[in-house]
Amino acid sequence: MALNHLLLLLLLILLSLSITITSSSSPVTANHDSPPYLWPLPAEFTSGEETLSVDPSLSLTVAGNGGGSPIVRAAFDRYTGMIFKHAYNRASSLLTRIRFLSVVEYDITSLKIIVHSDSEELQLGVDESYSLMVSKKNDQSIVGAATIEANTVYGALRGLETFSQLCAFDYLTKSVQIYKAPWFIQDKPRFKYRGLLIDTSRHYLPIDVIKQIIESMSFAKLNVLHWHIVDEQSFPLETPTYPNLWKGAYSRWERYTVEDASEIVRFAKMRGINVMAELDVPGHAESWGTGYPDLWPSPSCREPLDVTKNFTFDVISGILTDMRKIFPFEFFHLGGDEVNTDCWKNTTHVKEWLQGRNFTSKDAYKYFVLRAQQIAISKNWTPVNWEETFSSFGKYLDPRTVVQNWLVSDICQKAVAKGFRCIFSNQGYWYLDHLDVPWDQVYNTEPLNGIHDPSQQKLVIGGEVCMWGETADTSVVLQTIWPRAAAAAERMWSTREAVSKGNITLTALPRLHYFRCLLNNRGVPAAPVDNWYARRPPSGPGSCYAQ
Amino acid sequence: MRGIATKISGVAPLFLLFIAGAVSAFEDIEKLRIWPLPAEVNHGGRRMYLSEDFKLVTEGSKYEDPSAILKEGFDRMLAVVRLSHVVSGHRNSSGSDGSSLLQGLHVIISSSTDELEYGADESYRLVVASQGKPSYAQLEAKSVYGALHGLQTFSQLCHFNMKKKVIEVLMTPWNITDQPRFSYRGLLIDTSRHYLPLPVMKNVIDSMTYTKLNVLHWHIVDTQSFPLEIPSYPKLWNGAYSPTQRYTFEDAAEIVNYAGRRGIHVLAEIDVPGHALSWGKGYPSLWPSKNCQEPLDVSSDFTFKLIDGILSDFSKIFKFKFIHLGGDEVNTTCWSTTPRISKWLKKHRMTEADAYEYFVLRAQKIASSHGYEIINWEETFNNFGNKLNPKTVVHNWLGTGVVGRVTAAGLRCIMSNQDKWYLDHIDTPWQMFYANEPFEMIRDKKQQSLVLGGEVCMWGEHIDASDIEQTIWPRAAAAAERLWTPYTKLAENPDKVTTRLAHFRCLLNERGVAAAPLVGGGRVAPFEPGSCLAQ
Repeated sequence: MALNHLLLLLLLILLSLSITITSSSSPVTANHDSPPYLWPLPAEFTSGEETLSVDPSLSLTVAGNGGGSPIVRAAFDRYTGMIFKHAYNRASSLLTRIRFLSVVEYDITSLKIIVHSDSEELQLGVDESYSLMVSKKNDQSIVGAATIEANTVYGALRGLETFSQLCAFDYLTKSVQIYKAPWFIQDKPRFKYRGLLIDTSRHYLPIDVIKQIIESMSFAKLNVLHWHIVDEQSFPLETPTYPNLWKGAYSRWERYTVEDASEIVRFAKMRGINVMAELDVPGHAESWGTGYPDLWPSPSCREPLDVTKNFTFDVISGILTDMRKIFPFEFFHLGGDEVNTDCWKNTTHVKEWLQGRNFTSKDAYKYFVLRAQQIAISKNWTPVNWEETFSSFGKYLDPRTVVQNWLVSDICQKAVAKGFRCIFSNQGYWYLDHLDVPWDQVYNTEPLNGIHDPSQQKLVIGGEVCMWGETADTSVVLQTIWPRAAAAAERMWSTREAVSKGNITLTALPRLHYFRCLLNNRGVPAAPVDNWYARRPPSGPGSCYAQ
Repeated sequence: MRGIATKISGVAPLFLLFIAGAVSAFEDIEKLRIWPLPAEVNHGGRRMYLSEDFKLVTEGSKYEDPSAILKEGFDRMLAVVRLSHVVSGHRNSSGSDGSSLLQGLHVIISSSTDELEYGADESYRLVVASQGKPSYAQLEAKSVYGALHGLQTFSQLCHFNMKKKVIEVLMTPWNITDQPRFSYRGLLIDTSRHYLPLPVMKNVIDSMTYTKLNVLHWHIVDTQSFPLEIPSYPKLWNGAYSPTQRYTFEDAAEIVNYAGRRGIHVLAEIDVPGHALSWGKGYPSLWPSKNCQEPLDVSSDFTFKLIDGILSDFSKIFKFKFIHLGGDEVNTTCWSTTPRISKWLKKHRMTEADAYEYFVLRAQKIASSHGYEIINWEETFNNFGNKLNPKTVVHNWLGTGVVGRVTAAGLRCIMSNQDKWYLDHIDTPWQMFYANEPFEMIRDKKQQSLVLGGEVCMWGEHIDASDIEQTIWPRAAAAAERLWTPYTKLAENPDKVTTRLAHFRCLLNERGVAAAPLVGGGRVAPFEPGSCLAQ
């Protein structure tokens, strides 16, 4: 499945060009002052001096075992819609009129997408690498025009995103152009897990809004939507095995059916994004008891879930059975954070149960989490838990557990030292509901800080920015996510050298301004980059690129 | 007194039958969850379901839908109805005998034209289900644009049933007769203070249709930037913020087309002479001088030649009968302090105020020569109202009482008083938008007839693609009901409609529109977890 053909060619070209850029050199091309307006920055790329025009009726040709995948076709159609969104009359300008009469041809008339594997399996670590070449067709070139080559359809999707970012509408010729061609890009992600959390319990997010979020994630090459479905406040998802659970929804309208959830997963898969579902047990589950009050320790003390009853674990098992049919991703998040066990100590039957087993409340917390882990594992899931489970009883966790950081800055360091995998989400920098964290602080946060052993570094599978929903509903969620999530997305995609060196005001900020405007141009309400406080309106009139 | 039943020929007998059997809806009108409230609503208590292949039929319609305006409107309606949840139930077996199944919508339009004409009949009548054809809903309208309003109302009758997983229409039979109170129901957007990308403008237009607004007032150009291509004067868009923050001439035509297909007029504005500094980026001779750049040079014929060129280009794409020529906030100091212009003023024995009047009236004449009727901001009326072209529509913004004075002078008026209908005033809560009454203090019928309607204004100083939707919505919806619904149906106390508006805000959210919570002023983030319906 190697990229033999294109790789060899690329190698030859790289050798023949003196402007080779690799991860070890500056991300600024040698003969250009400004970095290319790509976000996130590809691992390796070279560019030239030519300007190429792109045919508005750009055609798709495919090759390879996976080239014919409907995922590729659908993505091509989406991206051409974005690239050619300006209305223009072919006969309106002289240049286009000449082109229309075939006196002048477009430089790029087709995009070739080669996908080697016919597998559409989307799992953690799926090969997202791709090569992208854009060059003028001439007698000398072996491959002309634009070519994306990837091992999987998901690599091809990443390549299409990069291709779309190379395309710019030129207002003078009224055509789409690619500047600084020829382009040779060889790209792959630094981390395999690049997540965004959304929270549909604190505020219900309609299906269309979740789709807008997923679509926008694909623009920044994020690849995991962590769906914090349920929490204390509401239980919006239908669970056929326990049909009263979604009585815990805010209202009968603010709910997701099983089919809605499946549609979200399908929609995300078409964009190369996995959906990781979360049930945050036992501490964030009060809303479960609206449908099944037995799950509360008592009607007046409702959280955490009643640890004493088999029914509690039956319900968890039932939910997980239902969810397994919806969520094919290998990870399932079991929460486990912020467990205040007072209700267990203060409710008579729970207290007696604790005494009968000689359990402290902390023992009961451990018992609960571990039992829930085994249920998830029995359904062929790898459990993910918030860091408190690791810091409280790390050595008892199933060794397959993935620890998700949020509280303490060095928890991944400790978790990987014990052999656990870890997801980095330090709340000081990567909690998007913290509005007082400007983009540069998000950008400069390094998941591998303090981790030097390469084998331990490998256990940090990536990171996640978290859009907790207490003060984020449909009206503000996208502008709270963007553009700051993009800063983290580059940190997780691009090489560590590229994002760590130099003055980010020069290497990153102009590109991030550009990317924010690109999001706006695609209808995503990304907020101004320069505001110190997130999701604030622009401070005054001005250009998108300067705010 | 409403004459609509007789306007639509051949339906009156049908309706009499229905009204006899229907439950009067006045007492529970707020439970109907329709925004804006239709003129007349009756309903029953029976549940029906939308068939899997719910279809559009048009037998008996005089309208042939040559450019698919109706077909696309119908498809959009179905798409938003199906947007909120996956429809997976077995729709076609929902009723035991199939009698509760709606197979489609029968649309009957009596006018064959699809020209979007200002002031034309926007009425419609919606019956669910049709008496003659009980498995169909029936929508009748004079024009296709009335039918589009009917489709919006129909979409609000449809709900997703979480158990059956199908789309249902509760409380049939429905019998709705509707028409707007005002013919001008506008929303202003400002692409000079911040550029708004095309998809963002299209989203705004789509969301306008949900509240039956019908005029997009496009304040294209101002002091800060000139984003639009003007073929006659190709350097004007050099005044754009950047090479990419621009609209081609074809983009503008596409916006007009996109809006027009949704029954929305686009009112283009060039705000002369006081808000036009950016023009001089491409043609510096329009400035009085390099360091005194506004208002436009009144002394130069080139200024008016250029306005003529712009309006000539405009007339090719902006087909709305009105053009907005601005005319507000003209600080004429530059005219006196620039020697060349000061000399010109003396020569023509004009004061600065005279020159302001001269400018506005000359611009009006140019616009008239291109077939436009003119709208100007109220300062033109306040300063030299008796000199304005008598067909001028005065656009209120500054104060209250202007509408009365304008209509007393026999001119037409659009109300946008800034204290109630400026959306950029984010401390104005939706209740004030709702309560703003265009006929306040105007008793005379003739004067009332000169009030074309009103407009909410989304000025762009602090508005870009990131916050425009939540600053417009839901407050613009409150004004939209004021402009659509008969006066007698409007709540005297806005708080009475809170639940229904909250529901409409959640509906906007479901449709992907980032409408903000009702609690507080404009554009507030929710302050705590909770239901959309309660915030």
